[in-house]
Amino acid sequence: MGKLLFEWDYSSYPGAQKYPHLFKPIQLGNLTIPNRIKYAATEDNLNGRDGFVTDAGVGYLRERAKGVVGGLCVMQGVYMDEKRQGQGYVGQAAAWDDKFIPGLKRLADGIHEQKAIAGCQLMHCGRVGGIETEYCQGPSPVPQRLRIFRPVEVMTKADIKQCLKEHIEATERLLKAGFDYVEISGIVGYLLSNFVSSYANRRTDEYGGDIRGRMRFVVECIQEVKKLCGDVPVGIRLCAEELLDDVGGNTPEESMITYEMAEEAGADVMSVTAGWQESIYPVISRDIPMGNWLHLAERAKQHLKIPVSMAYRLFTPDLPNKAIGEGKLDIWEMCRPMIADPLMPKKVLEGTEDEIRPCVACNVCLARLFRDAPMTCYINPVCAHEWDPKYEIKAAEMEKNIMIVGAGPAGMECAWVAAERGHEVHVYDKRDELGGSIIEASKAPYGDDELYGHITFTKAKAEKAGVEFHLGTEVTPELIEEEMPDTVVLATGPKYVKGTAPGFGRENVVSVLDVLNGKAQVGDNVVVWGNLKPGIGVALFLAKQGKKVTIVGKEKKLGKDINPSFLWRYVGYLRQNKVTAYNDCDIEEITDDGVIVMTYDGYRIPVKADTVISSEREANTILKDVVQENSIELFVIGDALVPRNLSSAVHDGYRIGIRI
Amino acid sequence: MAVDPEKEISSLWKALQGSQGATRRTFYQMREAAIEFAGPDADPFDIGVKAWEIIGKDTGKSYLPRMNLLKGEDGLMMNVARAYQGLAATNGAVVKIEKGEGPNEIFIKWERCPWPTSAKEFGASMKEDLLGCDKYLEAFLDEVNEFLGTNLKIETQKAIPSGDGVCLRRLYKSEDK
Ligand SMILES: Cc1cc2nc3c(=O)[nH]c(=O)nc-3n(C[C@H](O)[C@H](O)[C@H](O)COP(=O)(O)O)c2cc1C
Repeated sequence: MGKLLFEWDYSSYPGAQKYPHLFKPIQLGNLTIPNRIKYAATEDNLNGRDGFVTDAGVGYLRERAKGVVGGLCVMQGVYMDEKRQGQGYVGQAAAWDDKFIPGLKRLADGIHEQKAIAGCQLMHCGRVGGIETEYCQGPSPVPQRLRIFRPVEVMTKADIKQCLKEHIEATERLLKAGFDYVEISGIVGYLLSNFVSSYANRRTDEYGGDIRGRMRFVVECIQEVKKLCGDVPVGIRLCAEELLDDVGGNTPEESMITYEMAEEAGADVMSVTAGWQESIYPVISRDIPMGNWLHLAERAKQHLKIPVSMAYRLFTPDLPNKAIGEGKLDIWEMCRPMIADPLMPKKVLEGTEDEIRPCVACNVCLARLFRDAPMTCYINPVCAHEWDPKYEIKAAEMEKNIMIVGAGPAGMECAWVAAERGHEVHVYDKRDELGGSIIEASKAPYGDDELYGHITFTKAKAEKAGVEFHLGTEVTPELIEEEMPDTVVLATGPKYVKGTAPGFGRENVVSVLDVLNGKAQVGDNVVVWGNLKPGIGVALFLAKQGKKVTIVGKEKKLGKDINPSFLWRYVGYLRQNKVTAYNDCDIEEITDDGVIVMTYDGYRIPVKADTVISSEREANTILKDVVQENSIELFVIGDALVPRNLSSAVHDGYRIGIRI
Repeated sequence: MAVDPEKEISSLWKALQGSQGATRRTFYQMREAAIEFAGPDADPFDIGVKAWEIIGKDTGKSYLPRMNLLKGEDGLMMNVARAYQGLAATNGAVVKIEKGEGPNEIFIKWERCPWPTSAKEFGASMKEDLLGCDKYLEAFLDEVNEFLGTNLKIETQKAIPSGDGVCLRRLYKSEDK
């Protein structure tokens, strides 16, 4: 038995019985981790632009440390050079000088306060780095596929030596700051992975050539860091599959050689990763099924004696529990599930899984980082505000009787928060079930069923907080006057509208909701009016059934309400399913044969269609007047206020919930 | 109101030709600006050729997302040839692709190209027009080669500006590094 930093006894918790493999100890080097849970390193752009740790960063990590219930909590990867060549994000933490130690210590202490194991990470971003410089560094001058990155400056042997030295010095500082575990990041196209890959490393010196040559830098790095760490375990993250076969990247066999070499060099644990930022294949978005990459962990286990950990769409505890039980994995890592719900594994342990706020794998967290903005979460309004008391759910100063009209995501989010604060909350919906238009949205293909998870979560929270539901009840002015609540929250969802062009009154013009819930008949040639998410969702839903679908939308750009880190998936699927999109266009007329599309500059294109689907929305002002006439406090949230997306609905709901 | 397709297509086609003409004019107007700015010691020929090199490099960079080795180097050669063809079409040229005798070469033929006429109109030499185009295609290819570690080359065998009636270029896999 290795060194145990904190005592944890999980035996009395329901989660430990349900998922026994997740709550048993494991040894990394000489250190015993009480469970199999790891919060994976997560860049958050919450540090100062000078690399110093901030209150926001400490608050963020402390909450995740609470979540791992004694497990491993790893801070984001730090850059290690004063020239900032290795820096990949404007708000990345730095460790190139002793002046950063106090801030780093705050992070380690914050993790320890929660009786969790404090992990740190070294991360030179290589060919995707140099965010504040004119260039980035890499083994060879191979240009990146995407323009956002800097031109690559080839590292000389002196540069490599210097970089190695910086890894060692940063490790020293991180150890001084009190971290218990050191990880070296060699993932997604960062420096170490650049050296390893036959795509990015075309050197002919001893740091290039065959896979052994390309691994030399990584091996030296592990050996040097390990020497310094002594009893502190050292982990490494390396690709099991780079998913770069289109540009001549490593074979899976070569990747397994890198694993064996890393173990030989002294790594105490292998964190298995997949894909690069430059890969053309999706890896972690919602369209990739959960558990899709577990076979890579299993493959790693066949090549290694050291423990194997892995994240990558392991969003529910049953998957890692089973994999660990079957000897295919040792440690369950999570990044985005714990961005969405920092206490996710704690809730698993405590048997309150239905209260987990589920990540919808939209990758807006990443999109924000790439746009130099602090991290936010699509589904978790508190993310990156953990330090800010304004975001806390505090008991209400005056208890109110609140009527929430609409049981969609905005109404549900608002309901549970307000009820938890002590208000009496009544949720009304004319439908017989909870969810509002998320019911239909979650019928779209490519993983959109996961969107409904928010309703499952809010339902559990609302029921626990004592919210009363009045389903199948349409709220009328009379009902409001009869109930006379203190506050009305209108979360009715948007008004789905038809256009004013001739022909919109025809019988073959149907609503997006009716199509998705199977109430409308749809022909083989379809025009979808509206080029935002609802239009894209229904277009894919029908195109997958073999229909010929054309999208016509007024927005200049398709899917402007979808973040770019997910939009490329939809665009790919639209192309794959042969959906045509006319953006910056409108429907001029619906005729017997189809529609006449009018481009922004006046050209007219006839498109054959037997069904036209309207997915355009407007704000919904229904009931507003009666509430105001009766001097009742009024809030309008979600799409009823301004039609946007699920995220805005959730954030609106939360913000009003903590304010009422 | 019914659509008159002939009217829609003919006005779109006119607009397309208009914008192709505007693109060529803009190039030469920018070239003029660069010549004036560079002063009397600079050779307009060098400026024109350099401009084409920059355009080729940048165009190559923007095409990287579409370049890959999934169908091997032969597939890549065809990707590049098609890219040249598509780019030429947007400029108003007509280009045909023919496979060579061996697997390692493709012939690309510009059956018509409006650029030499524009060069004449703006007082640029045929030599500049030809070398500019060569540089443009080479710079594009260099970017692809650097990205994928390949060694594709392109050579000009016939050229409209030299009076050959067509531009014929050979895209091939070079053995020497
Ligand atoms: C916002 C964000 C920031 C990340 N930052 C890091 C990082 O600093 N170091 C690292 O090795 N991986 C980083 N990753 C990768 C994650 O640790 C993880 O491997 C990946 O998100 C897949 O796991 P998941 O499906 O649980 O999110 C980051 C991922 C995200 C989404």
